[in-house]
Amino acid sequence: MISLFEIFKIYFVIGCQLFGGGYVILPLLKKYLIEDKKWIKEDELLDYFSLSQCLPGIIAVNISIFSGYKLRKIKGAIVSLFALILPSFISIILIASFLNNLANNKIIQDIFFGVRISVIVLIFYMIYDVFKSYSNKLFSVILYFIILFLIIFTPLTPAMLVLLTVLAVLFGRRK
Amino acid sequence: MEYLILFYEFLKTGLFAVGGGYATIPFLFQMTKVHNWFNQNELINMIAISNITPGPVGINMATYSGFKTLKITGSFITTFAIILGPFILTLITIYFLNKFKNSKTLNQIFIALRPTSCALLTYVVLRLIYDNVYNLKTLNIKAFIILIILFIFYPFMKKRPSLIIFSGGILGIIFNCF
Repeated sequence: MISLFEIFKIYFVIGCQLFGGGYVILPLLKKYLIEDKKWIKEDELLDYFSLSQCLPGIIAVNISIFSGYKLRKIKGAIVSLFALILPSFISIILIASFLNNLANNKIIQDIFFGVRISVIVLIFYMIYDVFKSYSNKLFSVILYFIILFLIIFTPLTPAMLVLLTVLAVLFGRRK
Repeated sequence: MEYLILFYEFLKTGLFAVGGGYATIPFLFQMTKVHNWFNQNELINMIAISNITPGPVGINMATYSGFKTLKITGSFITTFAIILGPFILTLITIYFLNKFKNSKTLNQIFIALRPTSCALLTYVVLRLIYDNVYNLKTLNIKAFIILIILFIFYPFMKKRPSLIIFSGGILGIIFNCF
């Protein structure tokens, strides 16, 4: 049986090396869980990955719950999840308390003036890549513009529009 | 009471944000309108910092927004709340794994949710450009030039988030010195 401490160690190391969006976790899990430890198989990992994308929430978190469960059932899921987010939690709290004291510093303000604009460009390209991946499907493109119209011109909230999409699919299927 | 509202908002975010960490941004953005926990500028700063610190971006953003709201207690609440819903749903999925893998309805819902997530994020970007670059009905020249520079050069940075955030910071210093 794989020890919980061993699971904790691996996922903590993965959490420390994870920068950016959820997809980055895939090569890390492949390296540690498949190649080094041989705990899971490659097609299992791909199953977890595609299911994690469908489920709500953060992809990296969902994958670690799937793989942790595979290793030691519910205990494994909790330990792997906890270990994965621990580096994240510690580093954010340190940075947040540090920056709170520097909020009025002129240079820090100048830096963040530029950084905020880079975030706009970052999200823009993120959207562009996702949009490109389904731009050949007419249904998806129309849906995209309907939702965009609704969020801009009506007081509907993001949660309502997600629900609306789910209901539209369920209702549309009945017919 | 504030603790409960904070918990509820992030539980909701965890349950409705489909498509990873970035999909939580429209929900956090919505919070800047409804609650006075953090403002829009603080949110964008948090997104930037979450991209250059270790850990999943979604978790980083949740932890950070919790800290902004109610210090460390807030961080515990938001981080726990945002993973609770997906945790339970993932366990249910594992239980019905083979049924879910072959479910047509679920597949269709997922395919439909991608454009939705994408549209919600597009709205955030449009709002951010409007508020930051074209603010108060005048074009902010400095912000506009930085936007154009970063926009052109990002594809050459192999689309690495840390690089563009770093460059944004440097441009911010340069442009504010002159």
